[in-house]
Amino acid sequence: MDKQVELLQGTLDMLILKAVSLGPLHGYGVLLRIQQISRDRLEIQQGSLYPALYRLVHPGWIASEWGESENKRKAKYYRLTAAGKRRLQTEAEKWNRMADVIAGILDARPEEV
Amino acid sequence: MRLLTRIRSWARTLLRREGAELEMDAELRSHIEMHAEDLIRSGTPRDEAFRQACLSFGGLDRAKEECRDAVGISLLESLAQDLRFALRMLRKSPGFTAVAVLTLALGIGANGAIFSVVNSVLLHPLAYNDPDRLVTILHYGTAPVAPANYLDYRDQSKSFEAMGAAQAWSPNLTGAAPPEHLIGLRVTQNMFPLLGVQPEVGRLFIEGEDSSGNDREVILGYGLWQRRFSGGPSAIGKSMLLDGVSYTIVGVMPPSFQFAPFWVTHAELWAPLSLESSAQGRGGNNLRLFARLKPGVMLSQARAEMATITARLEQLYPGTNTDVVVTPLKETVVGNIETPLLVLLGAVGFVLLIACANVAHMLLARAAARQKELAVRTALGARRSRVIRQVLTENLLLAALGGTLGLLLAYAGTRALVALSPADIPRVESVSIDAKVVIFLLAITALTSIAFGLVPALQASDVNLTDTLKENSRGSSDGVRRNRLRSILVASEFAVALTLLIAAGLMIRSFAALESLDPGFNPHGVLSMIVPVAGSNEVDPGRRAIFYRQMLERVRSLPGVESAAGINHLPIAGDLWDRSFLIEGRPMPGPAALPDAVYRVATPGYFQTMGIRFLQGRDISDVDVAGAPPVVVVNETMARTYWPSQNPLGQHIAFAADKNPTSMTVIGVVKDPMLHDWTGKPFPELYVAAFQDTDFLGMTGTGADYITLVVRTAGDPAAIISSVKTAIWSFDANLPITNVLVTDDVVAQANAQPRFETLLLSVFAVVALVLAAVGIYGVMSYTVARRTHEIGIRISLGAARADVLLLVIRQGLVLALAGSAVGIVSALMLARLMTKLLYGVAPTDPITFAGVAALLIAVALTACYVPARRAMRVDPMEALRHE
Repeated sequence: MDKQVELLQGTLDMLILKAVSLGPLHGYGVLLRIQQISRDRLEIQQGSLYPALYRLVHPGWIASEWGESENKRKAKYYRLTAAGKRRLQTEAEKWNRMADVIAGILDARPEEV
Repeated sequence: MRLLTRIRSWARTLLRREGAELEMDAELRSHIEMHAEDLIRSGTPRDEAFRQACLSFGGLDRAKEECRDAVGISLLESLAQDLRFALRMLRKSPGFTAVAVLTLALGIGANGAIFSVVNSVLLHPLAYNDPDRLVTILHYGTAPVAPANYLDYRDQSKSFEAMGAAQAWSPNLTGAAPPEHLIGLRVTQNMFPLLGVQPEVGRLFIEGEDSSGNDREVILGYGLWQRRFSGGPSAIGKSMLLDGVSYTIVGVMPPSFQFAPFWVTHAELWAPLSLESSAQGRGGNNLRLFARLKPGVMLSQARAEMATITARLEQLYPGTNTDVVVTPLKETVVGNIETPLLVLLGAVGFVLLIACANVAHMLLARAAARQKELAVRTALGARRSRVIRQVLTENLLLAALGGTLGLLLAYAGTRALVALSPADIPRVESVSIDAKVVIFLLAITALTSIAFGLVPALQASDVNLTDTLKENSRGSSDGVRRNRLRSILVASEFAVALTLLIAAGLMIRSFAALESLDPGFNPHGVLSMIVPVAGSNEVDPGRRAIFYRQMLERVRSLPGVESAAGINHLPIAGDLWDRSFLIEGRPMPGPAALPDAVYRVATPGYFQTMGIRFLQGRDISDVDVAGAPPVVVVNETMARTYWPSQNPLGQHIAFAADKNPTSMTVIGVVKDPMLHDWTGKPFPELYVAAFQDTDFLGMTGTGADYITLVVRTAGDPAAIISSVKTAIWSFDANLPITNVLVTDDVVAQANAQPRFETLLLSVFAVVALVLAAVGIYGVMSYTVARRTHEIGIRISLGAARADVLLLVIRQGLVLALAGSAVGIVSALMLARLMTKLLYGVAPTDPITFAGVAALLIAVALTACYVPARRAMRVDPMEALRHE
């Protein structure tokens, strides 16, 4: 297993949007999915997951409803809304641009400057 | 759209607050359970699985709080929570709450009451169109102007859109029962348009209606219309018999209309003023002028122009047009009351400051006692801002309770103020608690809660966790900073209290000086009333003298009456009529240099009835009747002014304006009675014998067609009012008796304004003193309580009890002295502003300053003595074991 890295400030919201864009999930499920996709390389504070979910529900980017989990347990499911989809797109673009720029800077060799 | 979503989310969370909490709880719990189940499935024992799941989740409460924050609901919700908690805290210490709320309510209520007066008297605009452009034009800013001068000003000035004149007019309404003496004004036709007012019913005067012979119209005030015509529109066109002349009612003014705004403030009917017969008169000053500045014309321009015009007229007619002043109408109306009201508002603001300081003390002491509670909160994860918010909420709640009670107090206080206030405060009848006052109260309530609450809140939240929690029960020392703050508060309270006390002390000394003035007559036991004969059968010159004599005789024979007499105008309450005269044997002076004196007409027995003392000569008696040699009595000032080195007795004078001047012999000199306002300097004054004065007995028109009856009684003057009235009505039931006055009240009324100001300032000063005393007592008691341990050590180490007593008293005294020093400086500044309000006492009066400072220090010593004694009695064993 690779070493776990801590989540960058402000990226949790985007990851949650991505996670639920693949299908409705409950909070624990969001956690599991992010860990699974990241192959356990991301360390997520469980306590900070729910505030982030609430933060996303409030402006209407994700919606929640109660349902039943795979173990017949009552759980609150989150799904992406249309507004959330647009939001995820812009966030992802922003992120990619930023990553490109930063990678470009870090890759710079002396003769290029 | 997004905003809507947010609002919906807030609303949902708020409305289903309980539900949302449960939901959040269930969700987080299900998370932990799912995690635990996964762990169990991978072989962890059940208990261990739950423990691990909980651990890896982290602080459950913190997560919940952050979830609430995320929805943005937590601010509102925690406010509600804080409020609930604050209420519980306040309920838990009812003594503290009651004292704090009462203190604040006193301060806020007093401010509300004074502000409501200031609001309606000073801040409310006059109820005319664009009142800021209205001015008055008066001699010395107060005295009326002659008709010919008015016409010259009107025609020659260019600064004014319009200029109108008004004259007092108080006709008798007869021909309909009951007869009534009405208060009204005669105004030039342009007056109402100049003010920019509209009638409620009917019309205003139209052009030409103020020409002589065409001036028999009248406009009614709303109250008169309701009273005499039950508010019926049919009143328009009806006629009224005023002073025996028929007038046609053309209009009714709305209820809010008041004119004049000063001087004749209770006028309720207006008739046109015709100036044709008096257009040449420059001697009789009887018009008050109102004008509207043209748009764009500054007051200074109008003043300059009027100065030029009056200077030119003064050259043409020497002795006239002196000191004609253009004043904004508002200043004419409120000029006299502005300074006292502002001083009172300042004083009451000081009271509130002291109240705030006191509550701040109490909160500081409480914060110290609650340090542990707050430390526990902080330890459990409350942020500093959260603690401040909670403490501030408690303070705001205190202020709100104080403010609510204060509003009630302000309401009662306003009633009391209006009842107490002197009659000459303009618009005092309109004083009430309106929206502006409520907003003012809300604002000062909010400000006070910050003033008294912020510093204690900041201090309370600034807790050193480990120290506070470690300490056993209470700290042995209290922190230098907190103590210094409290000391500064007490010292400032003393400074403010001293300032107020000195202001009140000066007012009291000034008022005592006023009260000790000799009015020159004896007002006790005297009743007076005006008996107008206009419009009655007695107006006939042949009958008037007979009626007056018989009336006086009838009144004298009433039980309880010691003496009775008649005069044209009563001192202080009555008018001042001036007449020019010639002194026989002296060269004829120019018209401007004619000697003049206040003209009085007295029946025999007047001086005796009023208690005016004779310095020389004899009284007017029953022999001084028509046909006998004419006599005159003069006052001291007249004797001194016109016969400085001669004996005035036996000198002859005659009225300058008479066609055939009759020579009158001076037969007596009386001590100066007070003539008009209480502190005014005496004028020369002459008294002619009523039954020799053909004008007084024969003329009709203003000033001649009534007599003021004065009655000296053995007992209470008010008790015989009705029997005197009945006696007069037995001659003619159509006589509208007016201005029934108990002379003591007249004298009291003369000093009503200073009395009002003195009373209020004294009340505020006493409240300030009590609050400051409570403040210093509280702080000293608190200090002693905190220092019990230290004092115990001192005593056990051999300190004498007296030393301990001194130790505490000295600490309090230093505070009081420091505050007093500052207070004296601010009192000097306040007293300078009050110079206009003071009479016979310097604003730097050393007696007042020294006396008040001594009083305050004595109060401080007393307030310190009780806690000091407690300190003295500390039992060292007990004190040391206590810790």
